[in-house]
Amino acid sequence: MDMIFAGLLDSISPASLMFVFIGVALGVLIGAIPGINGPMAIALFIPVTYYMTPLTAIGFLVGLNKGAFFGGAVSAVLLRTPGTPEAAATAWDGYPLTQQGKGEKALRMALYSSVAGDFISTVVLIVIAAPLAAVALFMGPSEIFALISLALTVIAGIGTTSICRGLMAASLGILVGLIGTEPVTALPRLTFDIYQLGGGLSLIPVAIGLLAFSEILLQVEKFMAKGGGQQAAHIFSKKLEDRFITIKEFFKSTKTLLRGSFIGIGVGAMPGLGAPVASFMSYDQAMKRSKKKEEFGKGSLEGIAASESANSSVVASSLIPLFVLGIPGNLAAAMLMGAFMIHGMQPGPLLFKENAQLMYGIYGSLLLASFFLLVIGRLGLRYFCKAVDIPSRVLYPIVIFTCIMGAYLGRSSMFDVGIMLAFGFIGYYMRKFDYSYVAFLIGFILAPEWERALQQVVIISEYDTFMFFQRPVAMILMALTLFMIGRTFWCSINAGKKKRLEEVVTNEQAKNG
Amino acid sequence: MTRIKRDAIAYLLIVGFCILMVTWAIPVYTPPYPGYGASPALVPYVAVGVIFFMACLSLLRVGVALYLKKPIAVAESEFPEDVGDDSGFTQVGRVNMGRLLSLIVPSVLLIFVIEYIGYILASLLFLISVQYVIGNRRWIQMITISVILTVVLYVVMRYGFGVPVPGPQIFE
Repeated sequence: MDMIFAGLLDSISPASLMFVFIGVALGVLIGAIPGINGPMAIALFIPVTYYMTPLTAIGFLVGLNKGAFFGGAVSAVLLRTPGTPEAAATAWDGYPLTQQGKGEKALRMALYSSVAGDFISTVVLIVIAAPLAAVALFMGPSEIFALISLALTVIAGIGTTSICRGLMAASLGILVGLIGTEPVTALPRLTFDIYQLGGGLSLIPVAIGLLAFSEILLQVEKFMAKGGGQQAAHIFSKKLEDRFITIKEFFKSTKTLLRGSFIGIGVGAMPGLGAPVASFMSYDQAMKRSKKKEEFGKGSLEGIAASESANSSVVASSLIPLFVLGIPGNLAAAMLMGAFMIHGMQPGPLLFKENAQLMYGIYGSLLLASFFLLVIGRLGLRYFCKAVDIPSRVLYPIVIFTCIMGAYLGRSSMFDVGIMLAFGFIGYYMRKFDYSYVAFLIGFILAPEWERALQQVVIISEYDTFMFFQRPVAMILMALTLFMIGRTFWCSINAGKKKRLEEVVTNEQAKNG
Repeated sequence: MTRIKRDAIAYLLIVGFCILMVTWAIPVYTPPYPGYGASPALVPYVAVGVIFFMACLSLLRVGVALYLKKPIAVAESEFPEDVGDDSGFTQVGRVNMGRLLSLIVPSVLLIFVIEYIGYILASLLFLISVQYVIGNRRWIQMITISVILTVVLYVVMRYGFGVPVPGPQIFE
């Protein structure tokens, strides 16, 4: 109990409060800029957290992520250009409302739904993470190895249409993550005699390159091809009923909001699915169960509530697998895992045992971030809308230079800037060729832990080939891994056949008039 | 070139990369087996093995489809921009080497130049050149943004975090 109070007190220290507040405000501002999302913002700002205490650093980054999730709705509602895939469903109803002059009303609904979904999800995280972590403590190296294998298989499907390319990307991430000092012999491995690689590749330049720099390369390419940016629709009505959400309107959407929140929690807790799945699933359910189905897609407040509550509740619930098992469920969680490691902590069940006070401090910061999001959103909504108007030709050089200096800041090394550029280039090609950079990054982060678990299993079992058969949980997890690979291959073969069949039928129909 | 042909070339390059790793990089740059635990080369070999197997499998699939002239699913045979889709999550599409290099080259030059002319001058030149490449022709705006960003980051790094800025220190 003392630990809980001490942790919560830490979270309301002036420094912690200030950085959570700054994190949320920056997150909303950055998220409102089309093309910049939460994980990208975390990658850019992780170097800054080197100079903070672990609690303020994690609080700041969590605030940044929460703010960016809501910020994504601003560009979706005003531009119909969702900065992030999870905000796409918000745009379907938000933009028609903006065209009717009710953009502010749509944004307020998005804000309240985001805050509600986020708050519920945070409470669920607080209630279930610690007890689950206590159970997870009974897991040995065999289970951890099997679990990471399963997670990598599931994650290989994110951000690509092909499981083969996803597995290639995850394996390449593992290979790159192995560069540096080998843990058993303490000798350099795959360093190609480059002394700067002796300590391994730092997460910061790799993450900035893959997430931020490659994204900017793509956006600049698109901007140079098309020229100019989209003009936001700032048609804000002055009528009060078009600006504010009435209590009646809010309570009409309560059911949808709660349903969305729990869908988001369920989806976020499962590694690999992520916010877009939660958002679309919640929107679909809301439409099916609504009495006014015909309003969906034409400016339904319920549609905004469904999408925003679901995608925001993923933020906290994706921390459940991270805190309980040390497995990042999505990209933002992977970046937070990197931040934990930079501050000398290994996310996983031991976190609650070894850093209990810090964990309760983080819980406090998570709750405060929800509160700050509400306050900042309410007070600065109109100002944040201006962020979508920043001209691209001004924005892109700023982001590019921030990427370069962010990579330098980690170890004060221009070598890291070179690494960032190299991974920016690789990330650009990975996106263009449909290889999952998400799987790559998570493979890169999990590689050392995966190898450590394997080494422990081999040493403890004394080279027993059937070591996994002696541990039922590990055996089940390995069987699940094989099942997932088999199932995905089967589905992709069937989907290909179905598509070909559909195409042949369509061609035949076209020929026959 | 269609997407399916481009993918086939990419798979071939990946297979080549795997062969290079197995025959040269892993044996040469991995410590010898210490006599206990798993070999330091085991996980790299497993990772390369998975990449190799998946690339061969994909290559086989593409090869069979091209050889038998089977109709391939639309999503894999055409670029999204050809069918009017520019909102894809994975942003698959054609590579525009000219535009890519116009940003990569100034960034690479910055790494080398900064060691000789210092942070301030190199940053100013870099920011102006990048803005020019992107299409900004308003010189006052370009210079103002460059100066403000360079100074702000200098102050943040030098006095906020106490990190030495790269290159020779003009104001030391």
